[in-house]
Amino acid sequence: MNKYFSGLSIPLTKMTVLILFTVTMLASSMAFAAVHNITLTAETLPNGQLAYKLSGEARAAIPGPTLFVKQGDSVNVTLTNNTAVPVSFKVPGVGEQNPAMTAPGATATYAVDATTVGSYVYHGNSNGKELLGLFGALIVDKTDGSVERYVNDNGALTAVAQADIDKQLVLFMVGSTFWATEIVDGIQKPLWANPILGAAEDEIVRFHVLSVGPAHTFHLHAHRWLKPGTDSVIDTKLLVDGADAHSFTIKAGAGVGKGDWQFHCHLISHMEAGMHGSFKVGGAGTSSTVGASPYGRILLGTDDVPGLVTFEISDEGASWFRSARGDAIVGLPYDIKTKSLEVMAPGSSVNFVMSDTNGVHTISTLLWPTGAHHMPFDQTSAYRGGGIIKLDTPGLYVFTCKVHPYMFGAVIVDDPNTVGLDLGNPEKEYKIDLVTGISGLPTSSDLAVRLLRTFFVATSPDNWQDYSSQIWNVKFPTLPVRISGAPFSEELTQGGVSAPLSILNVNDAPLALLGKPAVPGVGEVWINTQFEKTDGKTKPGTITVVDAKNWTVKRKIALPEINMNNPHNMWVNRDQSVVYQTQWFDTKLTMLKRNNGQLIKNIHVGDTPSHVMTLPSNDDITIAINGENGVALIPAGKFEISKILPTQAAGHTSANPHGHWVSADGKSIVTPNINTGDIGIYGVDGKIHSRTSTGNNAPGAHPIAIGMMPDSSKVYAANLLHHTLSVLNGDTGALIKTINLIADYHPITGAFADNDGNGEIAVGVLPIQSPVSPDGKAVVIASTGGQIVIIDTATDTIVKMLPCDPGCHGANFGAKKGGGYYAYVSNKFSNRMIVVDIDPNGDGNIADAGIAGDVALVAGNNTAIDDTVNSLPGFGGQGVLAIPVVYNGWVQNLPSKWKKGLTDAQKNPIGH
Amino acid sequence: MLFQSNRPYCGMEFSENSSATQYTPHATLLRQLLISSLMALAMFFLCVGKSLAAEHIIQMTAEEVHEDGFGSKLMAYKMLSHTVNGTNITHRYSNHATIPGPTLFLTEGDTVNLTIYNDIPGANAGVLKGISSQVSVHVHGVHYKIVSDGTLKVINQEDDQGAGVGPAQTHANYSYTWDVAPGTAGTWAYHDHNYETHNGAEHKGLFGAIIVNPVGAANYAKEFVLYLTDDAFWGMEIDSHGMKQKKHGINPDFIARKDSEVRFHLIALGTDIHKFKLSGYQWADPGTNNMINEVAIGPLEKHVFTVKATKNAQYSDENFTNKLMGMVGKLKVSH
Ligand SMILES: [Cu+2]
Ligand SMILES: [Cu+2]
Repeated sequence: MNKYFSGLSIPLTKMTVLILFTVTMLASSMAFAAVHNITLTAETLPNGQLAYKLSGEARAAIPGPTLFVKQGDSVNVTLTNNTAVPVSFKVPGVGEQNPAMTAPGATATYAVDATTVGSYVYHGNSNGKELLGLFGALIVDKTDGSVERYVNDNGALTAVAQADIDKQLVLFMVGSTFWATEIVDGIQKPLWANPILGAAEDEIVRFHVLSVGPAHTFHLHAHRWLKPGTDSVIDTKLLVDGADAHSFTIKAGAGVGKGDWQFHCHLISHMEAGMHGSFKVGGAGTSSTVGASPYGRILLGTDDVPGLVTFEISDEGASWFRSARGDAIVGLPYDIKTKSLEVMAPGSSVNFVMSDTNGVHTISTLLWPTGAHHMPFDQTSAYRGGGIIKLDTPGLYVFTCKVHPYMFGAVIVDDPNTVGLDLGNPEKEYKIDLVTGISGLPTSSDLAVRLLRTFFVATSPDNWQDYSSQIWNVKFPTLPVRISGAPFSEELTQGGVSAPLSILNVNDAPLALLGKPAVPGVGEVWINTQFEKTDGKTKPGTITVVDAKNWTVKRKIALPEINMNNPHNMWVNRDQSVVYQTQWFDTKLTMLKRNNGQLIKNIHVGDTPSHVMTLPSNDDITIAINGENGVALIPAGKFEISKILPTQAAGHTSANPHGHWVSADGKSIVTPNINTGDIGIYGVDGKIHSRTSTGNNAPGAHPIAIGMMPDSSKVYAANLLHHTLSVLNGDTGALIKTINLIADYHPITGAFADNDGNGEIAVGVLPIQSPVSPDGKAVVIASTGGQIVIIDTATDTIVKMLPCDPGCHGANFGAKKGGGYYAYVSNKFSNRMIVVDIDPNGDGNIADAGIAGDVALVAGNNTAIDDTVNSLPGFGGQGVLAIPVVYNGWVQNLPSKWKKGLTDAQKNPIGH
Repeated sequence: MLFQSNRPYCGMEFSENSSATQYTPHATLLRQLLISSLMALAMFFLCVGKSLAAEHIIQMTAEEVHEDGFGSKLMAYKMLSHTVNGTNITHRYSNHATIPGPTLFLTEGDTVNLTIYNDIPGANAGVLKGISSQVSVHVHGVHYKIVSDGTLKVINQEDDQGAGVGPAQTHANYSYTWDVAPGTAGTWAYHDHNYETHNGAEHKGLFGAIIVNPVGAANYAKEFVLYLTDDAFWGMEIDSHGMKQKKHGINPDFIARKDSEVRFHLIALGTDIHKFKLSGYQWADPGTNNMINEVAIGPLEKHVFTVKATKNAQYSDENFTNKLMGMVGKLKVSH
């Protein structure tokens, strides 16, 4: 770590908090009731997390001060908000359930009557921001001084008085992290994140386990306690969604003795995400060990203790992994344009909390320093919660979500004793490993630098291609980095020492639209501009409707009335009157009117629905439930799911299907199973016909989207992380061929050559959508690395590469006026649609495939709108749908008015 | 072994012959009462004596079960042998590795010595999967020392406590000692904690349950054990006659004789939170007198209830996705 971060070694100031309440004894009939006047502030911690601070204390802590009162007492809280967000003091289950918000800088008071014995959460009620640390416990005890009984080693339920308690442990379960405070003799000591709890054998320990946010189950090995209010003995307790609390007493080691007893959440995904700690039962004087602290060894941290950086998982474009102090980091004088980068010292931890999202996610490492322990970090299935991991090995770690594989967060674990930030493991020549099985990749290699560029572009809207501005700038931080030495990538190494990342900057590159295609298309092109933000919504995303007659933006549909969230992919019913829209970071399928963009229905369909298509046979709707394990079916004309077809046999790892396709006869559904790395072919009756791995035995292929021949004879599946296209038999699912889309690229040198000998230098880095043209001639692959690759289905070889923009993503075919087909291609990190003509001269030979033109996706003066765009105009292009749908099987069902604009060949693409 | 012949006088259900506490019908009421109380006193002393509690010697193994036909595998426990005070009751279990794993019936006061073997291919041949190829048995509810935690050394700081290749230690088999102490009555899960990761493979088939009854507990005509996972119920039923464990598998249809008392044992596993419902029935929420007709249950919680089987019913998980995926089964009541 370099001199900029020398603030890392201020000595630890031991933090103990003594809670002193101003207690006013009331006279008369309420002789024994007390009024507690508590003065709190809400503070921002060095790592950007938020916390309550008790007046008079040096520091805020997570959890906030534990408030102990007796039944019948009342609590008056005076709260001053020193954070940048509105905060409150809400105690779910007690008193006011919609307490007023305190604006930044303001002070307000809150009153709570402790009428019922029990344990309660108080929290900031700050629209998810409370999960960053604005929570604490209110414990309402009995007036007689007794607390929860414990189960003794002989089974006796043993009464406990306050005076018997040796230690209280407050444990908050938030995201997938434990936040703890230890209370001995009234002294509250913050133990921060995932500490080691300690107690001497036979000590009477009272636990207060609480949660805010998604549900958990708390389990402590080898100990038993009472379910509150009953004589029922349990060892695991559900804390439900929202806010929940559970207090119990144990005698440490009763019947089991000393040991390092694990405590953890028992949700598998949360366990995998790091939600565990140790309860050390030892001899006299056994004490707790503090966990990772927001004040610790991180960039600009103050204390010389293990530190903690925190990312909020968000639905907001570019900020999917947003550092809790993202705004502050962007404001540092290092030209950092991303909020998704953090820097910390070895031995510190990274914390993730899904506090700003309606979807399910995973927190999975994409790359890490060679030799780093506990890698890859991953979870079996997508979930709600968070994650925490301690990182000891210096180097760059990039986290992603397997379900939404362009969500990126990066952490540089930097050895403070070297000059420049370490991008790889110093002990392994600064090399990195990738989740796809590549190990020992020099950080100076072209591939590593490309991945780095991808990260800084994807997570920084300032680095996106805005065609309205006509220039393109890409700014990298001015931070010096250490990477693998010569001979590669001289620019970054400057002879092998270190150089600022900003040496990669792109300055004022001209950016101009090509112009509209000369020949009109038929109908409309609907594009999910998934990142575009509007005034009337907290969630991003619009549908941009382009009129293919004149290539103008006809309509923008934001649907503020339902806060439409990340619209991702669409299809349309038979008569082309109802458009089906998935919300990929949410749980909904939306139905809207094609002719005016008005909402028909917003339907709960399951976690993180990705793609939608109809069955051409009966117009039923199929929806890939990407965050879960099946394909949902809504019968035509209905608004409710009739069943979910499982994509795997019971008990097996969730397939998490993404961009499925349906066979032309409507009999089978083909899914790319991102989580299990295979292509599944399923009957609409729910039968699993075949499942075929696409990774050729290497991990992490990540099949993401399907295209099918018009006669369903072949399936094409793009494997995002292997940069390959799998070709499968459409009947049996047998793998016919794997086309390497980066054969012509040298990952170390970055040199391009016709290595696969097909006469073209063509690469497709990070391929996504791969539809087959309705006439079955061509596969068009949109590759997020910025290329469009065209495959000839007669030979299954690459015939062409066309330029695309960063984040090139969606592709779908529509009819070209007068015959032929256009492939409409969308881009996440630019705001234009590219129109590809696969056979401009119409001779049936696709060798002349080329770009016909492009269309800016920004609203114009004549664009109909239902909300006002306020940022990221036209960005986030993902799902594309041309209306009318002209794929074989669907085109035959079009009403005559839609058929009118089509040629005979287009009306019957393979039968004429 | 002489002591153990006294074992039936404790009146516990593990005796294969539990009629030993019946008395002659010819005795007078007074005499009967006197003898009863004397016997009760004697039984009390006999039963609290540790050496008289039942000793279970159990050997289980873990196997790979080829389940879906497309190369994706689940694992399962198989009972190799189970003796109770020397009496072999292995015939009660399936001959195969099953999901769910064997249900172990225990009584407060018993001790268990359970040895786990690992027949998952490669596990004993030095092949390390993930960080560990070990299979372990981590049990909930009962007492055990830290050496019987069934976890990896990275957690317990003592030993890799499973069978197979572990990151710190490799064992051909591993034995656990459980003290089924007073106060541990209830239904508890056991599961693997070591396979591939330090979290184990409890979500890949390696789970089962122990049912700890208090001394002298009532008998139920049928015991229905149901595990709520992220996409299905896995279950089994046990008839009190013969105690044979049957119907292993997904969303089983249970059968009960009309008006018989049956007991449901619910245990959740995985990541989902469930809402269990048995249509048309109500039962007492454990530890309370509250009658309920559905219950929220999260991973590794347990919920045990009894009903009188009066009518056919459907049991289901009301969780949105799970129900639509068919997470339902039947209770069929026969005459
Ligand atoms: Cu949890
Ligand atoms: Cu995600």
